[in-house]
Amino acid sequence: MFRFVLREAGRLALGLLGALLMAAAMGALAAPHAGTSITAFLAAWGEAVVGFVRLDFGHSAISGASVPAELGAHLPLTMGLVAEGLVVALLVGVPVGFLLGAGPARRAASPFVQLVSAAPTFVAALALAYAAFRGLGWAVPVGAGVKSGLVLWPHNRTEIQAALLPVLTVGLAGAGAAQLALRRVASQTAREPWRVELRRMGLTALDVERAYVIPAVLAGLLACLGEVVLALLSAAAVTEWVFNYAGAADLFVKSVALRDWSIAAAILFVFAGLTMTAHFVGVSIARAVADPGTRP
Amino acid sequence: MTMTATAPRPAASLETVLRTAGWVGLGLIAVAVSLSDFLTSVPADATNIGPLLAAPSESFRFGTDVLGRDMLSETLHGLGVTVRAALPATLIALATGALAGFVAARLPRPLALALRGIIGILSAVPALLLAILIIGLTSRGWASIAAGLAAAPFAFVRAFEQAETQERARHSEYARAAGISAMTLLRRDLVYEFTDTVLSSAARALAAVTIILSTVSFLGFAAEPPHRDLGLMIAASKGAFLQAWWTAAFPAVALMLLILFARLAAGLNEGERA
Amino acid sequence: MNDTVKPVLAVRDLSVARGDHTELDKLSFSLNGGETLLLLGDDRSGADALLRVLGGFTRRGDDVSGTIRAGTGDEMPAARRTNLGIRAVYLPGPAAAPLNPHASVLSQLERVVARRHGSPRASAREELRIALERLPGAPSLEALGQKPGALDAIALTWALLAAALAQAPELLIADHAFAGLSPTTIKAVVAALTAEQARSGFALLYSARGLQTAANIRGRVIVLRHGRVIEEGDFDKLARGQAHAYTRTLFKALPRPGDALPARSMRGEPLLQVHGLDARAPGGKAMRQRDRLSFELRRGASLALIGEEGSGRRTLVRALIGLERFTEGRVVLDQVDMSILSAAMTARLRRRIAFVTGQDDALDPRMTLWDTVDEPLRAHLGLSRELVSGHRETALKRVGLASHNGKTPVALLSPFDKRRLQVARAIVSAPFLAVIDEPLRGLDAFSQSIMKELLDDLRKQEGPAFLIVTADVGVAQALAEDAFFFKAGKVVERGPLREILKNPKDEETRRLIEAALGETLL
Repeated sequence: MFRFVLREAGRLALGLLGALLMAAAMGALAAPHAGTSITAFLAAWGEAVVGFVRLDFGHSAISGASVPAELGAHLPLTMGLVAEGLVVALLVGVPVGFLLGAGPARRAASPFVQLVSAAPTFVAALALAYAAFRGLGWAVPVGAGVKSGLVLWPHNRTEIQAALLPVLTVGLAGAGAAQLALRRVASQTAREPWRVELRRMGLTALDVERAYVIPAVLAGLLACLGEVVLALLSAAAVTEWVFNYAGAADLFVKSVALRDWSIAAAILFVFAGLTMTAHFVGVSIARAVADPGTRP
Repeated sequence: MTMTATAPRPAASLETVLRTAGWVGLGLIAVAVSLSDFLTSVPADATNIGPLLAAPSESFRFGTDVLGRDMLSETLHGLGVTVRAALPATLIALATGALAGFVAARLPRPLALALRGIIGILSAVPALLLAILIIGLTSRGWASIAAGLAAAPFAFVRAFEQAETQERARHSEYARAAGISAMTLLRRDLVYEFTDTVLSSAARALAAVTIILSTVSFLGFAAEPPHRDLGLMIAASKGAFLQAWWTAAFPAVALMLLILFARLAAGLNEGERA
Repeated sequence: MNDTVKPVLAVRDLSVARGDHTELDKLSFSLNGGETLLLLGDDRSGADALLRVLGGFTRRGDDVSGTIRAGTGDEMPAARRTNLGIRAVYLPGPAAAPLNPHASVLSQLERVVARRHGSPRASAREELRIALERLPGAPSLEALGQKPGALDAIALTWALLAAALAQAPELLIADHAFAGLSPTTIKAVVAALTAEQARSGFALLYSARGLQTAANIRGRVIVLRHGRVIEEGDFDKLARGQAHAYTRTLFKALPRPGDALPARSMRGEPLLQVHGLDARAPGGKAMRQRDRLSFELRRGASLALIGEEGSGRRTLVRALIGLERFTEGRVVLDQVDMSILSAAMTARLRRRIAFVTGQDDALDPRMTLWDTVDEPLRAHLGLSRELVSGHRETALKRVGLASHNGKTPVALLSPFDKRRLQVARAIVSAPFLAVIDEPLRGLDAFSQSIMKELLDDLRKQEGPAFLIVTADVGVAQALAEDAFFFKAGKVVERGPLREILKNPKDEETRRLIEAALGETLL
C-alpha cells in the first residue's frame, strides 16, 4: 500500500513538473520576439522556467497586475463553484449510479440517462435558467451584466437564487461523470466468479454485497475522482460565462481571446494540477478501501 | 464447469437495438443535411424573412428570431455547418487519439512512457479549454482541427492502457517466448481492437467533438455568419430566449439529437465528459 | 465397519431440464454417512445440475423434478427444496477463483464459517484454526492472512478444505475441488480428507473430471454422460474390466505402471547441448560443481522434467531457450552458442520453438481460430493467405478442429479446444523443439486420452524434440523417453524413464512415481 502511494505520488510530481514546463512554454509566447525563431522561443522558455523557480510568474498583458494577484482575485470563485458542484455531483450521481448500476433498472433507464447526458453544459445551463425564470418566477438569471462575486454560502433569498443555478449546472455535469464511473465499475464486478462462488459456499447475498461489492464499487468511483473533477472544471468554464461570473475559467476564456498568455498558462496549470491531485487522492483512497490487506 | 462467461448475455438484444437506432438516426441527420438546400425555403442567414420574434405558427414552423430569420431554415443550415465541421474533427480525433494510442503502446518502452506522460498531462486539462487554447494560438478557421486534437488525449490514454493490458497478459508472454515480434503484436492490436471497434470509436469521437465544437462556438471562438453553426445560434439567442423559447430550443434539440444518436451508435455504456 | 449407518441422502428420479435440453435424466442414488460417491464424466455430463440442486443454487429456468430425502426426514420434491434437513457444505476448487482477490483469504473463510454457524467471527476463526491443525500439510492460520493471489493453489486448496470441514458438514459436496493439482498434492489432500471422513462420518459427493482424484479417493462411482447414468460400481472393479465403451475410454486415461513407453524414434544430431549449466532461480545461491547440469538433447528425442511446482524445472527451460540469462555454463541450441546472441537474435531463434501448455490464457483471446493457426506462417515467413490455408486445413484436421467455425474468437472456445488449437499451431510452425508444459491439466479423462494421442502424433510426424515439464509421472510416461527428476532446484535423478520406473533410487523420485502411478514397479 505504501509503495503504491509512493509510486502514485511520484507520478503526480512528474505530471506537475511536465505541466509546469508546458505552462512556461505558453508563458514564453507572451515575451516579445518569442515568435520570431525557434532559438528565440527556446530562450524565452528558459527564461520563463527560471522565473518560475524564482517564483516570478509574470504579469498579465492586459491589466498589468501580477499573475498570482489575478489568480487570487478570480480563482476562489471557481474553486467554490467546483467544490459545491462536487457535493451535488456525489449526492445525485452516486444514487443514480447505484440504481442504474445493475439489473433490469439499468437496461430500462439507460436510454433516458443517455438522453439527458447528451445535452452539452451550455444547453443544460440555459434550460435550467429558463425553468427557473418561467417555472419559479426568478429574476432574469442570465446576461445581466458582470457579477463579481458568487456568494457560495448564501444567507438570503436573492443570494440563494443567484448561487443555485450555477452550482446545479456544474453539479449535474459532475453527476453525469460520477454515475458513468459507478456503472462501469458495477458492470465489471457483476461478472466476477467470486460473487457466485461465495454465495454457493454459504454467504448470503447481503453479506457479499456489504462486505465486498460495495467497497469495490466505491473504490472504483474514487479512482475516477480525477474524471469527475475534470467534468466539473469544464462545466465551470461554461457556467461562469453563461451566468456572467468572473471566475478563473471565464478569465481563461477572456485571456485567450485577448492573447494574454501568461494568465492563460497559469490557469491551465492550476486546473491540470487540480485534476491530477484529485486523481492521486482518489486512487490512493480507493486502494485503501478496496485492498484492505489483512484487515477484514 | 462452474463458470460460463461465454454465453451471450440477454441484454445484447437491447444493446443492438439502441446501436441500430443510433446509426439510423445519424443516417437521417446525414440525409437531412445533404438535402438541406431542398428542405429549406431560404438561404442561410437571410434576415427579415418574417416578423421579428414570431412564435411557431403555420407559416413559420419553428418561429423567427430577433432578426426575423426563419428558425426552421436556420436550424437546418446550422445543423449542416455543425456536421460538416464535426467530420474532419472526428477523423483527426480517431487518428491522433485511438490509433496513436495503440501504436504508442508498442513502441520501445522509454519512448512509450514519455508519450504517455505528455499526453496524460494534456488529458488532465478539460478538452474544452484545450480546444480554446489551440484556436487562440492559431485562428478561428482551425476550430475543427482544434476540436479533434482536443478530444484526442482522452482516447489516446484509453487506447494506450488497453494495449498495455494486452502487453502484460500471459498470452503476450508466450508470444514473445515463441519469437513473435512487437510489430506482429501491434498488428494484432490494430486488427482486433481497432478495426473491431473503429465504427463505435468514430461515433464516440463524433459525440465528443460535437460537444466541444458547439461549446467553442457558443463561447464565440468559431464560425461566423453566414456560416453560423448551432452553438453560435444558441449564443445569439441568449438575450431573447427567456421570452422567445423557440429561438434557443430548436437548435438545442437538433444539437442534442446529433449527440444522442452518435452516443447510441457508439454503444450503451458510453458517455463522454462534456 | 460402523454398525449404525446413518442415511444422509436419498435421491429418486431426479431430473433437471433447461428449456428443451435435458441436463439430468432420472438419476437415483442413496448415500449414507461415511460413504463416498464419485461422479465421473465430462463437462456436459449433468453432474453440475445435480450439484446445483443439492447445493440449493438452481438457476432461473431450471426445471427440476424428482424427490430428495435428507437424513431421516420425509421425501421432498426436489423442485421446492428450500432447506435440506442436513448440513450440506459446498467445496469449490481454487481453479474456479472462488475468493475475492482483494480481501484476505482468512477473512473470507472466517465469514463463511461464521455465517454457517451463526456465530461471531472470533469463534469462527478458532474453528478454522482447529480444522487447519488437524490437516497435515496445511498452512497455518496466520499464513492465510494474505490475498488469494499471494497464495499458491496448494495452500488455497487446504484452506478451502479446512473451511468446509470447520462447518461440521453432514454432506460434503466437492465440485472439482482438487482439479489441476499435482499428483503428490492430490494424494496428500485426499488422504487427509479420508481421515477426516472416517473421524466425523460425513458423506462425500465428489464431482470429478479427470481420474487422478478419483484414483485416490476410490469408493463408489457413477459414470454420467449427457445426463444419463452409463455405469455404476466400485472404482477398482471398473478400473479392471468395464462394461461400457465410454467407461473404457475414460479409464484409458488412468496411467498404469505397466503401460508401454513411447518407442524410441529415430534420433538425429544433437539439438541442444548443455555444459555445466547453473540455472539458478533469480537470487538463489550458486550451485556446487556437481549440481551443475550437462546433457544433450537430440532431434526427435523427448525429455521430461518432472518435479513439483517451484522445483526449478521452468527456470531451466527459460534458460535453455534464451529467455533468461544464466551465470555459469554453456547452452548450444541448434549449433548456436546462446551466450553470443543478442536478445533480438535469440527471439528469432525461438521462432522454431512451439509451446503447448495447460494454461488456458496462453492464446490471445481476441484472435480467431484460423488466425491463431495462421500466425506463425504469416508473421515469420510472410506467406500469403492462399498458401497458408492449405497448411492450416491439414493441421486442423489432424487435431479435430476442422469442423469448427474458423472465425470464432479463441475466448469462446472450451479449454479442450484451446489445447488442441495450441497443438495445431505447433504443427504449422514446424518446430525443432516443442515445450510441453502440463498439457493435461484441467481436462476431463476423455479429453486427456485424446490429447496424449495428439502429442504423440505431433512428435511422430513433425519430429520435434520434446521438452516436457510436468509434476505427473503419468504424463511423462506417455510422452517421454528420458527424464530428469527435480527437487529444490537440483536434478536428483536422471536417465531413461523405463529404467527409473523399474528402479527409482531417490526418495523424491519414488514419491512422485507412487503418487502418479499408484504403486512402484518394485
